[in-house]
Amino acid sequence: MARMKFVCDAERCIECNGCVTACKNENEVPWGVNRRRVVTLNDGVPGEKSISVACMHCSDAPCMAVCPVQCFYRTEEGVVLHDKDVCIGCGYCSYACPFGAPQFPSQGTFGVRGKMDKCTFCAGGPEANGSEAEFEKYGRNRLAEGKLPACAEMCSTKALLAGDGDVVADIFRTRVVQRGKGAEVWGWGTAYGSQQAGTPPAGGVRK
Amino acid sequence: QPPAAPGTTSAPAAPAAPAAPEPAAGGIRGQNIFEVKPEASVDPNYANQTNGERIKVQPGNNAPMWRQVGQGVTGYSSLPKSEAPEAGNLIQPFVQYPGSRLTNAGEAWRQVRNDWIIPYGAAVLFVVLLALAIFYFTRGPIRLHGQETGRKIERFTPFERATHWSNAIAFVTLAISGIVMAFGKFFLMPWMGAALFGWIAYALKNVHNFVGPLFVVTMVFMVFTFIRDNLPRASDLQWLARFGGLFGGKEVPSHRFNAGEKVVFWGGVLFLGFFVIGSGLFLDKLLPGFVYTRGEMQVAHMVHGIATLLMMAMIMGHIYIGTLGMTGAYKAMRTGYVDETWAREHHELWYDDIAAGKIPAQRTVPTDSAAPAARPARPAEGTPS
Amino acid sequence: MLLTKKTAPANNVSRQGERESSSPFIHSLRRGLSGALPTMDRRAFLRRSGLGVGVGLAAGQLTLMRKAEAAGEARPTAVGAGKVEIKRTVCSHCSVGCASDAVVENGVWVRQEPVFDSPINLGAHCAKGAALREHGHGEYRLRYPMKLVNGKYERISWDTALDEITAKLKELRQASGPDSVYWIGSSKHSNEQSYLLRKFVSFWGSNNCDHQARICHSTTVAGVANTWGYGAMTNSYNDMRGAKVAMYIGSNAAEAHPVSMLHMLHAKEHGCKMIVVDPRFTRTAAKADEYVRIRSGSDIAFLFGILHHIFKNGWEDKQYINDRVFGMDKVREEVLAKWTPDKVEEACGVKEAQVLKVATWLNENRPGTIVWCMGQTQHTIGNAIVRASCILQLALGNVGKSGGGTNIFRGHDNVQGATDVGPNPDSLPGYYGLVEGSWKHFAATWGVDFEWIKKQFASPAMMSKPGITVSRWIDGVLEKNELIDQDSNLRGVFYWGHAPNSQTRGLEMKRAMDKLDLLVVVDPYPSATAAMAAMPGNPDDLNKNRAVYLLPACTQFETSGSVTASNRSLQWREKVIEPLWESRSDHMIMQQFADRLGFGKELSKNYKMQKVKGMDEPVPDDILREINKCVWTIGYTGQSPERLQAHMRNMGAFDVRTLKAKGGTRDKVNGYDMTGDYFGLPWPCFGTPEFKHPGSPNLYDTSKHVMDGGGNFRANFGVERDGKNLLAEDGSHSLGADITTGYPELDHVLLKKLGWWDELTEAEKPKAEGKNWKTDSSGGMIRVFMKNHGCHPFGNAKARALVWNFPDAIPQHREPLYGNRPDLMAKYPTHDDKMAFWRLPTLYKSVQQKNIADKVHEKFPYVMTSGRLVEYEGGGEETRSNPWLAELQQEMFIEINPKVAAEKGIRNGERAWVHTPTGAKLNVQALVTERVGPDTVFMPFHFSGHWQGVDMLGYYPAGAAPVVRGEAINTATTYGYDSVTMMQETKTTVCNVEKA
Ligand SMILES: Nc1nc2c(c(=O)[nH]1)N[C@H]1C(S)=C(S)[C@@H](COP(=O)(O)OP(=O)(O)OC[C@H]3O[C@@H](n4cnc5c(=O)[nH]c(N)nc54)[C@H](O)[C@@H]3O)O[C@H]1N2
Ligand SMILES: Nc1nc2c(c(=O)[nH]1)N[C@H]1C(S)=C(S)[C@@H](COP(=O)(O)OP(=O)(O)OC[C@H]3O[C@@H](n4cnc5c(=O)[nH]c(N)nc54)[C@H](O)[C@@H]3O)O[C@H]1N2
Ligand code: HEM
Ligand code: HEM
Ligand code: SF4
Ligand code: SF4
Ligand code: SF4
Ligand code: SF4
Ligand code: SF4
Ligand SMILES: [Mo]
Repeated sequence: MARMKFVCDAERCIECNGCVTACKNENEVPWGVNRRRVVTLNDGVPGEKSISVACMHCSDAPCMAVCPVQCFYRTEEGVVLHDKDVCIGCGYCSYACPFGAPQFPSQGTFGVRGKMDKCTFCAGGPEANGSEAEFEKYGRNRLAEGKLPACAEMCSTKALLAGDGDVVADIFRTRVVQRGKGAEVWGWGTAYGSQQAGTPPAGGVRK
Repeated sequence: QPPAAPGTTSAPAAPAAPAAPEPAAGGIRGQNIFEVKPEASVDPNYANQTNGERIKVQPGNNAPMWRQVGQGVTGYSSLPKSEAPEAGNLIQPFVQYPGSRLTNAGEAWRQVRNDWIIPYGAAVLFVVLLALAIFYFTRGPIRLHGQETGRKIERFTPFERATHWSNAIAFVTLAISGIVMAFGKFFLMPWMGAALFGWIAYALKNVHNFVGPLFVVTMVFMVFTFIRDNLPRASDLQWLARFGGLFGGKEVPSHRFNAGEKVVFWGGVLFLGFFVIGSGLFLDKLLPGFVYTRGEMQVAHMVHGIATLLMMAMIMGHIYIGTLGMTGAYKAMRTGYVDETWAREHHELWYDDIAAGKIPAQRTVPTDSAAPAARPARPAEGTPS
Repeated sequence: MLLTKKTAPANNVSRQGERESSSPFIHSLRRGLSGALPTMDRRAFLRRSGLGVGVGLAAGQLTLMRKAEAAGEARPTAVGAGKVEIKRTVCSHCSVGCASDAVVENGVWVRQEPVFDSPINLGAHCAKGAALREHGHGEYRLRYPMKLVNGKYERISWDTALDEITAKLKELRQASGPDSVYWIGSSKHSNEQSYLLRKFVSFWGSNNCDHQARICHSTTVAGVANTWGYGAMTNSYNDMRGAKVAMYIGSNAAEAHPVSMLHMLHAKEHGCKMIVVDPRFTRTAAKADEYVRIRSGSDIAFLFGILHHIFKNGWEDKQYINDRVFGMDKVREEVLAKWTPDKVEEACGVKEAQVLKVATWLNENRPGTIVWCMGQTQHTIGNAIVRASCILQLALGNVGKSGGGTNIFRGHDNVQGATDVGPNPDSLPGYYGLVEGSWKHFAATWGVDFEWIKKQFASPAMMSKPGITVSRWIDGVLEKNELIDQDSNLRGVFYWGHAPNSQTRGLEMKRAMDKLDLLVVVDPYPSATAAMAAMPGNPDDLNKNRAVYLLPACTQFETSGSVTASNRSLQWREKVIEPLWESRSDHMIMQQFADRLGFGKELSKNYKMQKVKGMDEPVPDDILREINKCVWTIGYTGQSPERLQAHMRNMGAFDVRTLKAKGGTRDKVNGYDMTGDYFGLPWPCFGTPEFKHPGSPNLYDTSKHVMDGGGNFRANFGVERDGKNLLAEDGSHSLGADITTGYPELDHVLLKKLGWWDELTEAEKPKAEGKNWKTDSSGGMIRVFMKNHGCHPFGNAKARALVWNFPDAIPQHREPLYGNRPDLMAKYPTHDDKMAFWRLPTLYKSVQQKNIADKVHEKFPYVMTSGRLVEYEGGGEETRSNPWLAELQQEMFIEINPKVAAEKGIRNGERAWVHTPTGAKLNVQALVTERVGPDTVFMPFHFSGHWQGVDMLGYYPAGAAPVVRGEAINTATTYGYDSVTMMQETKTTVCNVEKA
């Protein structure tokens, strides 16, 4: 089974934010909720590199592990989704997530955040695929339509690749070989760790 | 992405490699950027080079940048700090919280919470519960030895009782909602299903968030109300030395509050309460002047988790004593009055003071019906004589 | 790989149980459906990621999108059940021309899908393109016509607005003549609308019209056209895939043309070396192999510094120069003598070693391309800078080669087209000069009497006199009447798709706006102009009779038409949605004004009308057909709507590297066979549509036959100069040409001399008689010359390294009027003042001298430059009204070097005041960064809505203020204009910065 992953190629990403607005557009994400964002390191000096980041759909997802209501689930393609009906907006997933992916519609005074929202890999949520309810809560379900995430599909330089981990790794590898540099697959170590999709880490099952 | 050890040849692309056939992986290694100009690593400053400097000596080697990223260095994001304070952070920095490995902060926090606070917290609560149960079933409640005199002493004024009960109600609400948040998914969710549990948890979580600050207010009253009689006295030492006489023998004489109660007060209420309240207010984002980054929230949460669990454990003991554990105690807090016998048996020194007239037996002037028990002479309603 | 419906949460047994219990029937239905959902194979995946380049997908005609859509229809639960249509359109935010599919459900634009088939963008978009659909909401747009009454905008009806404005126009015309009204058109208009506006203004009787190209690439157009024929990008974004080295000098493509980087990065991965020359370390520089920091405005010194090394080492392409370039010897002499490394370093600040390194790379890697944009054009010497770039490429022999050329990245989505056929003050569509012959050519095409047009003008003299430029309209209002070269000052201005904050000297613009009798803004987002006009200024300036109207135009997504991308490819936009609110299309508004002004019939004589919201609108296809009939000069004749529409429907047929259609591709709808066509028929696409010229992917490319898009340099400047041959040398001709020497442009005499006249048909002969290729309305001469003999109608000449008709025949470095280096100003002084230049006196030396005398450099020590952010476009009112974009850039800022910040005690994120010599001050946020050097500051120019520290929100028409507002840099920019085109100087001026 395909294991969905993102790769952002820092040698290519030009911080154009195309991925960001593509996501806003496709999923009608409101102001203040940034399912995807672009971060530039060494901004303005030689060595500047940008990376677009969203939920990485981790193999052993910390968000999932800490959620007090266990509203996360993983699809067969390894996409980490959650159920907004169950979410209590406690924010724990955002503390745990290494990438700062979980977002909340409100700022959280009195701990009021609203239901968590994050990148769904454009795979919607637990509602029926393509249903209105699913769209309203989670945005589009492109995977079910046989399409890949909007952000990656529209990436201006194809820096952002999304899809079957093996395939994107292949594409990326070809590029690396061609240019002879920029081999770092950002975030994979953290998101997918030593383990491959589905297999628990060496140390046994963690909560 | 663990911080790349400078100069090593481990291409961090490795995670991508396993599934790939050998030649492709070899391809990357063959192009290994770290080997472009290996002699560059002789530079004494090599390890501290910035990405810009490194690129000059080893084109394409971004190791310094990835090292920074691994360390949680914050980059540039055009999103305003006021709206997305941590947008520039790609990956949380490495930390080692007590009980976690040295790892990414989010992961470390998860380890502390999920590997320690949740299981051991549950264990603590369970053990305390078990202990109390055993105690109750083996020893039963502490009863009065003598006959009630029917003469009542006012132990708690209406104000004191109001303070205590509002505090108690808030606490219990918080505890129940907190427990649901922390452990609900293990014992409630399998039983009631996700949808119902989610709904209840959502409600309780919000109750918790709003009752928390209320609890803070009642706590302040509690402290002012009860601090005087909880000040340590010489006699407390004796009480403590003999465990209040719990295990055999006669109860050790005490003033209005015995040392056990004082321990609860100072340790459970004041000390732990300070942490519970501080961390709770922080988690509620109510303390002014903070940015509330995830790192800070993690710390606050761990403090909150530990402090609340200990506090719950302690208060569980208190509640036990206040209800099942000791006849008459609950009534004291409910009605405000105790029988002279109760006072003599449990708080002998206090009784002595009252008898000696140092402390008035009746501190409030009960005029209207608000005070349930009227005069010391009249038996409280429903009290068996 | 198989993408199926995700399964129920596998890690949570209890939830699964619960879900299943909901209804076994629903559950099994879901399971069944999930099996029916479309699957994707690896190839499809590659395509969807835009990576399957060259993977010939059999199902090319049917995009995956549609397939998925079809599958979607089978789903009972699909979002909405209404009628779903896919409309193919083109991003309206820059010249890259990225295609996008709009999914329209019951008339509502519900989704946006990438067009992977597009050879230009392969589905990719930058932030603006990916946020296009917001145009379908239009929440922050002007909804109905409004009029300024007592300082507030009030709603009026369209009829009232049109009637009142027309009355006012007639009044002005009566009192002060047709030249008293100024028409600012738009590079956002489609080709059809731009063309129609030029026609409209001609019928009104004036040349006083212009559009954004003036303040964008006018210097390029003039400089480059005068070098070798056409003033456009020679190659294409796609062609850059084949470059071995690419030098970006004065272009920040990563922000301004983001999707072009897709091709560049591809080239880079295949070994292309990338050099960026810029005063700022830009996002583009971050991707470069070599970054060169130069002093703003000193490009000539740098370019000639490179050339110095090239000549010194004999790296120039001698054969090429001999065969195809005129005057390089003079340039060589001067460069060797004048631009020695020390002088170069002094003038542009780049050390010899780095200049040599760049020269070496350019020498060793050929073909190489050079990219420029506003960094070169927006200077008082812009015309000379761009020519220096051309000369460098000519010396290297890189022009007319695939992988080489001058890749001049144009600006707005249709600035190329609007320049080609739109409202220029000095030419008619197709760069036909304002001479009687041209007027007659167009009168014939338009089907009107030449004498009638002539009567519309104030006088025959005014008919051939270039109008005022948009950069200077304010002086047309403010300048003393006796100093301007027309009867009346400007009294009325139409802002028809142009922002006010994009022109310099904002303080004076405010005065000019107040003095007007009539200001009409026709724009979907007229609010920046509206607010500026409504804001109280100096009461003495205010014309008591001033009337201000706002008319809601619709966007390009609410109409159809063609748009010309930077690479000269034309693309057809389908209408996505009906005009929102009360907005109307620009061509409908033009028609409605024309009707009221009494020349409605003349305007649309050749067009059918279609009903839009119950009103008549000229059919864009017909307007394009008219363009096809007359714009021969630049080959806008072959791009019929049918051909363009077929291209749009079959984008997958075109190769990404060459843009050429694969064999045997026929459109299903109109049966057109695209075989051999280049995508979008990049102009020149000569002859009639039936002639089937494929378009020219790379200009002046002699390695191809002219019928395959080949060519050579244009013969436009005579055949001889100072006894030297201006035509190409023998043997230097396009592949397969029957004439193997240089030759002049084609006319009836030449055709007869060559003995080819009789190859014309009998029907063609009378039309061709006495004509040249540009005026032969039959197209017969072109047919014979090109198809039968492989020759290029515009002749075969040499490119000119020496442009003798310009102020500086050899490009000269001259310091800007406002600079911080008086020492260099003394060495490289500016031009002398000009008296009647585009109808206005224009100052150079007197301003520069005064600035030196006043020691302006001491009070304003920093070079102030400006440019773009990827999220916003132009004046920004449109993009700042798009919340998806606005969220990403919420503050107007100034980039200052840490050294400056330390000196001024300003910390990152704090507020700062920026002062300029005009007396204006701007309150902006400080961004402390090494991106700029210590002598330079940078500000984006996309903001407006704050005026010297004050929020203008109160002056906006209710509900039409953009989401984000900020200080406009052009409130504070200074005087200075290019000595050929009147381009405004925005890239090099001075300022001071203080902590606020
Ligand atoms: N996002 C976005 N994209 C756009 C537009 C937009 O508004 N927003 N507008 C479109 C339009 S109309 C245009 S014309 C193009 C413009 O596209 P560009 O010209 O690429 O953009 P700019 O940022 O104006 O300027 C480019 C660079 O010139 C540098 N520069 C300044 N002075 C000099 C100099 O003297 N010499 C050199 N060599 N460089 C100098 C600046 O530092 C800047 O980095 O972009 C088009 N694309
Ligand atoms: N300081 C400084 N100033 C500059 C520059 C710089 O780099 N620095 N760059 C210059 C350059 S290169 C340019 S091109 C200009 C750009 O400046 P402008 O072209 O003036 O800026 P835009 O905001 O893009 O203006 C286009 C207007 O057209 C409207 N519009 C969009 N579509 C349509 C339509 O279909 N019909 C009608 N009627 N209107 C429409 C938009 O709402 C917008 O108001 O700025 C120039 N000014
Ligand atoms: C003394 C009584 C309290 C107890 C027993 C208690 C208990 C708990 C528990 C068990 C949790 C869940 C921890 C987890 O799931 O890991 C929690 C979370 C939390 N508590 Fe408390 N708490 C108390 C007081 C407070 C107070 C006084 C405040 C605020 C002023 C507060 C605010 C919070 C917040 C904000 C959370 C985080 C979860 C959320 O946002 O919903 N708590 N508490
Ligand atoms: C359902 C919950 C509770 C019950 C049934 C209960 C019961 C009692 C009773 C019976 C007394 C009187 C003991 C005496 O007469 O000496 C008492 C006193 C007291 N209780 Fe509680 N209590 C509860 C919750 C709490 C909580 C949540 C707190 C504080 C966080 C608290 C703090 C105190 C204090 C401070 C006193 C005064 C004696 C002392 O200082 O120890 N109680 N409680
Ligand atoms: S990136 Fe964050 S939110 Fe996404 S799966 Fe990993 S931990 Fe969860
Ligand atoms: S915010 Fe929602 S999803 Fe995140 S941990 Fe809390 S309940 Fe789970
Ligand atoms: S995958 Fe979809 S939801 Fe996730 S960031 Fe990309 S567009 Fe947004
Ligand atoms: S669209 Fe692509 S290039 Fe642009 S910011 Fe996103 S990942 Fe980077
Ligand atoms: S703004 Fe330019 S690069 Fe961006 S999507 Fe539109 S056309 Fe493409
Ligand atoms: Mo432009």
